[in-house]
Amino acid sequence: MILSRVARGAAGVAVLLVAAEVAGRTGLLDTQIMPLASTVLAGAAGLAADSEFLHDVSATVEVWAEGLLLATLLAVPAGVLLGSLPRAETALRPVIEFLRPIPSVALIPLVALIAAADGTMKVTVIVYAACWPVLVNTMYGLHDVDPVAKDTMRVFGFGRLAVLLRVTLPSAAPFVLTGVRLAASVALVVAISAELLAGGEGGIGVYIVRAGSGYRIDLMLAATVWAGLIGLVVNALLVRAERGLFRWHAARAGVTQ
Amino acid sequence: MRLTGRTTVIGVIAALTLTACGGADTDTTATGNNGLEKTTLKVGILPIADVAALYIATERGFFKAEGLTVKPEIVASTQVAIPKLVSGSVDITLGNYFSVLSAQEAKMANFRVLADTFQAKPDVFDIVVKKDSPIQSVKDLKGKKISVASFNSIGTLAVDSTLRANGLSTKDVTYVPAAFPDAPGKLASGQTDAAWLTEPFLTGVQKDMGARKIADTMTGAMADFPIAGWTTTEPTLSKYPKTMAAFQRAIVKAQQIADSDRKAVEKVLPTYTKITPDAASIITLGAYPSTLNATRIQRVADLMLEYGYLKAKMDVNPLLVPMPQ
Repeated sequence: MILSRVARGAAGVAVLLVAAEVAGRTGLLDTQIMPLASTVLAGAAGLAADSEFLHDVSATVEVWAEGLLLATLLAVPAGVLLGSLPRAETALRPVIEFLRPIPSVALIPLVALIAAADGTMKVTVIVYAACWPVLVNTMYGLHDVDPVAKDTMRVFGFGRLAVLLRVTLPSAAPFVLTGVRLAASVALVVAISAELLAGGEGGIGVYIVRAGSGYRIDLMLAATVWAGLIGLVVNALLVRAERGLFRWHAARAGVTQ
Repeated sequence: MRLTGRTTVIGVIAALTLTACGGADTDTTATGNNGLEKTTLKVGILPIADVAALYIATERGFFKAEGLTVKPEIVASTQVAIPKLVSGSVDITLGNYFSVLSAQEAKMANFRVLADTFQAKPDVFDIVVKKDSPIQSVKDLKGKKISVASFNSIGTLAVDSTLRANGLSTKDVTYVPAAFPDAPGKLASGQTDAAWLTEPFLTGVQKDMGARKIADTMTGAMADFPIAGWTTTEPTLSKYPKTMAAFQRAIVKAQQIADSDRKAVEKVLPTYTKITPDAASIITLGAYPSTLNATRIQRVADLMLEYGYLKAKMDVNPLLVPMPQ
């Protein structure tokens, strides 16, 4: 079943690539402006052997991971707290809904003014963007806990902490992981955007800036392909983790494999 | 509660990064470094020809001879370069004079120029149109769209000046902001009628799409116009005077080489940009001045005032740091 899904996905990608290639070869797209799909893919493959680019990839992955980790460490406890204190949640909801849509990329110049190092600036904007999906999903997860299960625990004389640890958290965990998965993509987008806008010593975005300044649109697109692939891999890994860890939840929610 | 949360994040991240940096900058207090206050300088750059001398200085050991390690860091735009300079994220940055003087007037910081970096020469900043465009001269630009790197920049100043020299004014055209790599696409697809470009894009579009030059913008009032200088802030300069002097001595030596030996520039260009060696050998380069001349830099402030980019007359003298003896 998984194989056929992969095959179908690959077919979709192939159709798109062939269409782009044909458009370029027939002159529908000006290849000086938009290089052929095959040129871009060859460039992307070539980057795998480019040590400078691999250094850029590791720089991006580093700020991405650091940002995602900090966002998770911050947003999960905050979400648990708010999810279990309905009155606090009601009070803070407007603040959260106000802050959440602010594009963190717009905060870059401001954060750059305060942050004493480039990495700090990037991690800060990543944390800002990535903490919302985790926070909101954690809160929803806490709301979704089966009240009968909680009441049963209480009837048997378990305290609040025991209920939290044995029922609430396990029950909310799939939601948290979904939040982390969404945040992982957001964090990658923000990491590369921050590199594109602010630069830095290295990063996929920095590579794109360098390629752009040299008028190498093929290399800009090749690096972009890598950004997409990294996003795809990270998402696939987290989806697998969700399915593996929370099989019971997927079954209950009727999610097919 | 969210707010305290945010403050904590920044605190935590700052602490983490500071520890990380503490590991990297090992030799900031090393001995035998000519009494330099610090030996590692973070320098903001763009991957363009302007900064070639920095790489020549590194390649030929000029910084090393002064006891300096220079770490270049790309600062993709002035909107970020200046905040990074103010926060101390970089010690020195490539600062285009237009932006530095604007930021100085806006009191974002007290800027100091350590050395001149790049100066215009003929055909370094041209306006081009498509091969089959009906536009033949600047006069035909009336009512047309021109892409410039950004609003309120050296680009709009240069095009303003060219328009005025041809009896038009800024009001006669529409500026479309487009980063240099995006501008050729916009021109080809007809989203713009003309593009203000520099190298390597100028040579690129002329070769690839047969684009046609209609004007060199660095003529008349803007002939040999100063473009950018190595810029720091007054607090950084007074904190590290000897380090900055060492940087000045090293970079000026390299500026002289860049200006007199084109091959030296061609050699380093492909190492820090994606300009191919072939392209590097044919693109038009500007000048790499080795003196910081107040009269020359004053021209930038005066022209910016004339075109309304500065509100008041600005004396650039206090901004220029003399060469150490």
